[in-house]
Amino acid sequence: MISPQRVSAIATNTVREAIRNKVLYVLLFFALVLISTGVLLSTLSYVERDRILQDVGIAAIRFFGAAMAIFLGVGLIHKEVDRRTIYTVLSKPLSRSEFLLGKYLGLVATLWLQMAVMGVGFAVTSWLSEAPLDAGHAYAIGLAGMEAALLAAVATMFSSFSTPLLSALFSVGIYLVGHLTRDLRELGAASGSEGTATVTSLLHRVLPDLESLNLSIQAVHGLPIAPAEVAFAVLYAVGYSAALLVFATILFQRRDFR
Amino acid sequence: MSGSLAIRVGLLAAAIGVAHVAHARLPVASPAEQGEPFVPRPEVARATSLGFAAVLADYYWLRAVQIVGGEPNPEHHGHLLGRFIDVVTTLDPWVSHPYRFAAVWMVEDEEAVRAANRLLERAIEYHPDDWRMHFYLGFNHFYYLGDNETAADALEPAVRLRGAPTYLSRLVARLRADREGLDTAEAFLRELLKSAPDPYAAAEYEKALDEIETERRARFLDRARERYRERNGRDIASVEDLVRGPSPVLERLPPEPNDWEWVLHEETGKIVSSFYMYRYEPHVAARANHGKEGEGS
Amino acid sequence: MSDAPEEIVVVDELVKDFRPGFGLRKKRVLHGISFKVRRGEIFGFVGPNGAGKTTTLKVLMGLIHASGGRASILGHDIGESAYRRHVGFLPENPWFYDHLTGREFLDFYARVAGVGVAGRADRCAELLDRVGLSHAADARLRTYSKGMLQRAGIAQALVHDPSVVFLDEPMSGLDPIGRKEIRDLILRLHTEGKTVLMNTHILSDVEMLCDRVAIIVQGRIRYEGCIGDFLQNEERATDVVLGAVSPDVVEQFETRFEAGVKGRGDRIEFRVAEKHLEEVLRIALDTGAEVKAVTPHRVSLESIFLSAVEAEGAER
Repeated sequence: MISPQRVSAIATNTVREAIRNKVLYVLLFFALVLISTGVLLSTLSYVERDRILQDVGIAAIRFFGAAMAIFLGVGLIHKEVDRRTIYTVLSKPLSRSEFLLGKYLGLVATLWLQMAVMGVGFAVTSWLSEAPLDAGHAYAIGLAGMEAALLAAVATMFSSFSTPLLSALFSVGIYLVGHLTRDLRELGAASGSEGTATVTSLLHRVLPDLESLNLSIQAVHGLPIAPAEVAFAVLYAVGYSAALLVFATILFQRRDFR
Repeated sequence: MSGSLAIRVGLLAAAIGVAHVAHARLPVASPAEQGEPFVPRPEVARATSLGFAAVLADYYWLRAVQIVGGEPNPEHHGHLLGRFIDVVTTLDPWVSHPYRFAAVWMVEDEEAVRAANRLLERAIEYHPDDWRMHFYLGFNHFYYLGDNETAADALEPAVRLRGAPTYLSRLVARLRADREGLDTAEAFLRELLKSAPDPYAAAEYEKALDEIETERRARFLDRARERYRERNGRDIASVEDLVRGPSPVLERLPPEPNDWEWVLHEETGKIVSSFYMYRYEPHVAARANHGKEGEGS
Repeated sequence: MSDAPEEIVVVDELVKDFRPGFGLRKKRVLHGISFKVRRGEIFGFVGPNGAGKTTTLKVLMGLIHASGGRASILGHDIGESAYRRHVGFLPENPWFYDHLTGREFLDFYARVAGVGVAGRADRCAELLDRVGLSHAADARLRTYSKGMLQRAGIAQALVHDPSVVFLDEPMSGLDPIGRKEIRDLILRLHTEGKTVLMNTHILSDVEMLCDRVAIIVQGRIRYEGCIGDFLQNEERATDVVLGAVSPDVVEQFETRFEAGVKGRGDRIEFRVAEKHLEEVLRIALDTGAEVKAVTPHRVSLESIFLSAVEAEGAER
């Protein structure tokens, strides 16, 4: 059985270790700079400055959230193996699943911590520019957090059996395709060929539909967002991530740590 | 110690100097900016946006804004703008301003106006409650394409929308009745002026209103010229003939709105303001067909 | 002890194949090894580098999956993983999260091992004291010396109070003082009744600490038993140095005792089997030679490995 104590011990240690990573602070710094650069960019337009400001802000949060998820996720397991710390940890009465889950949850906590800081930066910038702020923005940033969590699961899954470089390539690939599957499905449906339509529809169902976690346009335009839609998006991300993690534990279970 | 420091400072200065001199000799504008700006196909732009459609829409919007005023060849202006706004509104169809921007600036020929109308139809799809989109579409049909019926049809749904001015229903009725169009055009333009998105557009509308006023007075002079011809059996040799002689057709000439003069156009022989040197023409498409000679409808 | 000693670790025909890279060719590193570790003993798992010692320990700890055979610890099959509650493990050249202090480090392992909140801090403090790291409890691990890290590693292995401890080359890379400290710690574990299985390639450590050994060479067990018995089986020899020996006596030594004589005249050296020593010395004294030195020769583990490897080569 999964023990919360053991999992939280691994997770806490992962957070403590991750927040010591200087690259993370560089990324965070750039994200905050970009969020506040929205103010400058928006002055290039003489209208709808609030919208441009917030478009840039949310895009920065989403981009850096995804980048950190992949950057930290691909090294998550490899680092433990490489530094041989995994030998002592796994020699304890702790299952590999608990270890992997703890590492993943620690990573997600780290990502959410960073994104919360960016979110505060976004709110402060919006507030200073007197741009409107409402629940829609919180939903959009929240779903960006879910996207990062899902990407972290993708990266963890690859990192449970592959090298960091390959894992990064695979994860970035999944990220790109994940944003394309909706368009692909539409193109497939419009192609008129039933086979193509079936394949693109299947891809849309199997690969992560990351656009479903993207509410930036709706939030910035203040369009109505149904809480149920957000709830289903969260559920989708949680379910998809859980599936990836279960798959990762199966791969991880079979691995030899030489 | 201090000697090696001096050498290093010297090397640093030399390196900065070389970099600066070389940099100053590089062309500032990127090659893409020197020629026709690259505008991707809207569907390609959307497929490659990878979740960042909103910011990309902003990016193309900012580039579109730079065209107006930056584009050296005004003939291209509306077409290029149309392509940019198409990309912007494909990436983020919920934007509002770019549609109006397109409606205001894409006017140089019929093709541009029709492209703007297609964008306005998309605008109506995504902003069904915004009466202004209907208004712009109606105005384009009436003013540039000279199609009063379609204009009235386009305007009609706006009448019932929240925030729509009360006179819209009268405007629709007038569109269906008034073929001449000066009053209708003025009514449209007054409203457009009120909700002009920016000072440049406002200036355009003020100019158009000024042209309408000039045209109104020019038509008054046309009627006087007709009376002169009936009375004297010949045409005027100059506009002043209308007030000259023992029994002039007019007591005095109406003032040219910009305090310029009324003259006969050298080629067309029409009475024109020396400020404009052409007669008001509400329909761009018609103007393109008739060249410079044509007076209205 | 009247009862038959209980078998704590039972390794039975264990096989491990590695597949280097993506190729189909397998490389067998454990050729069906078997040995048993009994309760309360210090068991030495001895062999040259690359013999398969570390692989065996990792299989026992569940870090590597066996390709064949069985192993059980405290009666649990190693596939079950429940046994790890009773086993502590110190890997070779361990490396730990160096951003933690000694105290945080131990607390982390205690939590991972499922040690309850109650008494966890006391348990960690006591362990730090026991391995002599109390003074460095609040210093980060990155400031620790190699010897301190090794002791921290042993503390980590003991944090959940296991009854069996696996140590992989616990004394490698340490200076003499460090080696003594670790040796004392191991002996203390022994007096506490814990069962210790240690990998090593250093014979002196084995002789000083171990009750029994298994010798592994190239993935095969060559010997299992008491280290004294093993050395007994080897033919003991003595190095003799003589002076003023006549050439015909030298020739006699060479032919009769198969002694490889080096040097000549007033100083010769040679090695003879223990059973011939008395006779050699008598001849020497009778012929008026001068006995300069008689030293019992110690069989080095290296030479045993070497002979085992040679035997391996001969078999092929």
